[in-house]
Amino acid sequence: MPRSAFYFKLQLFITFLTFILSQSSCGSCPINVWPKPRTFSWPNPQANPLSPSFQIISPSHFYLSKAISHYLNLINTEHHLPLVRPSVNFSSSSPPLRALHITVYDLVTPLQHGINETYTLTIPSSGGTASLAAHTAWGAIWGLETFSQLVWGSPSRVAAGVYLLDKPLFPHRGLVLDTSRNYYAVEDIKRTIMAMGANKMNVFHWHITDSHSFPLVIPSEPELSSKGSYGSEMVYTPDDVKEIVEFGLSHGVRVVPEIDSPGHTGSWAEAYPEIVTCANMFWWPAGSDSLDKLAAEPGTGHLNPLNPKTYEVLKNVIADVVKLFPEPFYHGGADEIIPGCWKADPAIQSFLSNGGTLSQALETFVNSTFPFIVSLNRTVVYWEDVFLDDLIKVNSSCLPPEHTILQTWNNGPNNTKKLVDAGYRVIVSSAEFYYLDCGHGDFVGNNSREEEAKLVLGGEVALWSEQADPTVLDSRLWPRSSAMAEALWSGNKDEKGVKRYAEATDRLNEWRYRMVRRGIAAEPIQPLWCVRNPGMCNTVHPI
Amino acid sequence: MPTSPFHFKLQLFITILTFILYQSSCSSCPINVWPKPRSFSWPNPQANPLSPSFQIISPSHFYLSKAISHYLNLINTEHHAPLVRPSVNFSSSSPLLQALHITVYDLVTPLQHGVNETYTLTIPSSGGTASLAAQTAWGAIWGLETFSQLVWGSPSRVAAGVFMLDKPLFPHRGLVLDTSRNYYGVEDIKRTIMAMGANKMNVFHWHITDSHSFPLVIPSEPELSAKGSYGSEMVYTPDDVKEIVEFGLSHGVRVVPEIDSPGHTGSWAEAYPEIVTCANMFWWPAGSDSDRLAAEPGTGHLNPLNPKTYEVLKNVIADVVKLFPEPFYHGGADEIIPGCWKADPTIQSFLSNGGTLSQALETFVNSTFPFIVSLNRTVVYWEDVFLDDLIKVNSSCLPPEHTILQTWNNGPNNTKKLVDAGYRVIVSSAEFYYLDCGHGSFVGNNSQYNQPPGSDPGYGGSWCGPFKTWQTIYNYDITYGLSEEEAKLVLGGEVALWSEQADPTVLDSRLWPRSSAMAEALVVRKQG
Repeated sequence: MPRSAFYFKLQLFITFLTFILSQSSCGSCPINVWPKPRTFSWPNPQANPLSPSFQIISPSHFYLSKAISHYLNLINTEHHLPLVRPSVNFSSSSPPLRALHITVYDLVTPLQHGINETYTLTIPSSGGTASLAAHTAWGAIWGLETFSQLVWGSPSRVAAGVYLLDKPLFPHRGLVLDTSRNYYAVEDIKRTIMAMGANKMNVFHWHITDSHSFPLVIPSEPELSSKGSYGSEMVYTPDDVKEIVEFGLSHGVRVVPEIDSPGHTGSWAEAYPEIVTCANMFWWPAGSDSLDKLAAEPGTGHLNPLNPKTYEVLKNVIADVVKLFPEPFYHGGADEIIPGCWKADPAIQSFLSNGGTLSQALETFVNSTFPFIVSLNRTVVYWEDVFLDDLIKVNSSCLPPEHTILQTWNNGPNNTKKLVDAGYRVIVSSAEFYYLDCGHGDFVGNNSREEEAKLVLGGEVALWSEQADPTVLDSRLWPRSSAMAEALWSGNKDEKGVKRYAEATDRLNEWRYRMVRRGIAAEPIQPLWCVRNPGMCNTVHPI
Repeated sequence: MPTSPFHFKLQLFITILTFILYQSSCSSCPINVWPKPRSFSWPNPQANPLSPSFQIISPSHFYLSKAISHYLNLINTEHHAPLVRPSVNFSSSSPLLQALHITVYDLVTPLQHGVNETYTLTIPSSGGTASLAAQTAWGAIWGLETFSQLVWGSPSRVAAGVFMLDKPLFPHRGLVLDTSRNYYGVEDIKRTIMAMGANKMNVFHWHITDSHSFPLVIPSEPELSAKGSYGSEMVYTPDDVKEIVEFGLSHGVRVVPEIDSPGHTGSWAEAYPEIVTCANMFWWPAGSDSDRLAAEPGTGHLNPLNPKTYEVLKNVIADVVKLFPEPFYHGGADEIIPGCWKADPTIQSFLSNGGTLSQALETFVNSTFPFIVSLNRTVVYWEDVFLDDLIKVNSSCLPPEHTILQTWNNGPNNTKKLVDAGYRVIVSSAEFYYLDCGHGSFVGNNSQYNQPPGSDPGYGGSWCGPFKTWQTIYNYDITYGLSEEEAKLVLGGEVALWSEQADPTVLDSRLWPRSSAMAEALVVRKQG
């Protein structure tokens, strides 16, 4: 066993020990970390000055080094002023904390699903050097975020006598942003990723294209964006994508691309009208009932599964997207296939009159694309519709579970259960949580067997952009996404299994103000008065 | 008859004539004005270049001149690029529009409730000079806003061959902002007032104080804000108020102050604990089913039986009246919670001697209402003072000629009740006009969220959920169910942003464009 591994395990052991010894010592800490760490021991809340020459010492790692620059700058400049003065013993003549020493056991594993995100952080009460130990660089980045939240004041001070061991409950903690209905600039996306990292959320699921605009520049198919975007100033070039992907890696956030197809592809018709059925038609003609809609919402168009040209274009797109995004997950969409749109096409009409079905048409589509995506070493994520839709769906034999993950958005826990029962790994974005409501974390359900629960990779909040754009981005996302972030990281219950929403309000309030000062325009959740008068805004009554 | 009124009437006549002739010619105009003018005739959509030396010529008027500077700057620098290219005949060699000539018939009437806001705007197709005529300077300011919306592009062009006559349906088109639960900077308030003016909304109802903080510096009672505000950087000084009031006048917006009392006064207790009952107590003690101390966290009511209350409050009222020239004074008087008054020993003995809480409120009203009226103010109260189930006063305490009631519960039903009692009414029905709803509950430790998936009825825990969409606001008919005679007592409406869950980070997106929906509904939508 190499020395570093031993050191790491020793650290773990010591931390665990101190945790057991002092578990109850910090029921309400004077300084809190969001999302709440799994174990956070601070038996005698005290703080030491942060040395003006504070430094972070770490092994060499491209993205960890970038993260260190970011956090060193944040730590030196933030000077966070807690809304409630922390009751912490502090003397400016105490021994300063001079350095944070980072140990990483495995410097090789790239950022991907399921990596070990565990870290331990020890800040001695005697000043000197704090220790952050993690299995991977990505766990170390979370440790840096935690450390940064333990620094406050001007001049800066840092919590001391702290021991913590932290790791997430769920490996997949994501956020969907739709950049097709309305456009977001690269800076908006980077600010969102930075906020995600601050909340230890690790998957930016980028719903890049849809019927409304095609903003992604595909080098082998440049017409798609030049004709299908909202304008030449509202596109993402390969350089933009690289910038976003690299920025994500420096903040511990994977960037998973979604090219939604065969539905939600109206914008493709600007460049290739021949491969898109029902394009540019009115979405719900007068006199027709809802079964004859051409689209789930205004903006029609589905890729034609029976036209070979469709696959020529789509495979070029897939190949380029795979080149642009190193991430091993590829999201293929496949939601909301609307019968009326495919039925509007003559070729599909004759296919149907010869005994074919729309589900067979979808099967053709999946069989013509899924193996290609898998051949490029990608796990394919689809929305649940491809398998659970009432009318148009494919057989599970087309979607081998080892290469397929399904993302649920309807019927809450019921659909999660259906997908898990069929053996699929699941990402949860249930419709009840569509609007970024609180309370995530219940979706595993009480009667799921443990092995089934293991198939639930995690969750994603979703911001669809029909009624959102950069002016409201931050306030739509934050701090509500922070609620999911904590539920998926350390759960929404305390050590005794009791829901901890009671004490979460005050902590989330403080975290919201801190995010605002970090440049994220998160919405307020309470009057300032509530923060200044802790507990006074609670209720002891069922409402 | 002097020339100017004649000119104005002639103008009106011509405009009405052309309106009748071309009424249907512009059902979807290439360039639109929000709120939609009452009559907007543009038979042959064309545009002319705006002269680089474009000027606005007007009679001398302090606030109109300020408005002109604002709009001249906007017109010269905005260069609005419409999202859809307007299909308008335009040639850069067409004759330029050189000037806008403003005529105002009455330069004296100050900005106040019920002023004539009518204006006519004529932009000839031949370039040269456009004409804006209005009865008052305040109508002329609306005309300037309309004109500015008809200018676009770079270099600037302006709609030409346009004739319009415009005036609002309702005289009171307002917005309530609560600056007590969370604080807003002076710049946030000014930006809000500017946006109100752009939507021809004319009343900024400033809910300045509440239980959570007392941000208004009262010169004769400086301790109230020194101790009751969120901090010395979160107050409004007399200079700040003057700046806001003057800014409002330059944008056609009245600033109506609300000092909510006797409820919603917990913050007063920081300076004067002796005049506030139940201050700083937990709002809803365990074990008490109905005896809450406040409608929400943040307790405290002024004590109506303590003479010291009126000493302080009258100082406040007198200073507020000095700070705000506006003839309306909003006294609040909503949500008197029995438990809070009952917590006070003096009131307890008053009650055990046969007194009632409604009598206590009557004492309060009778000790303050005449004083406010004596300062030449019309008093606005929330409906509760007259309609509350438990604690209310008789209408004899509130003579309709000096009283306006603002409704916020039960939609059209309460409007009808108030009108039936003879009161003028401002409509802020929570089901339609509350902009803060639909963002959950702000109360902590709230067990209603601890439910299995599927239990939420759709309100997300917000007492007035769901979110009020712009469509909900636009389609609310505030005189629903009233006769024509009764409808005359409805002065207008106010959307409201209560700030438990709002502050400057979300101000603009909470207010706009949903307030614009009310703005247009109160200006143009047909009644009934």
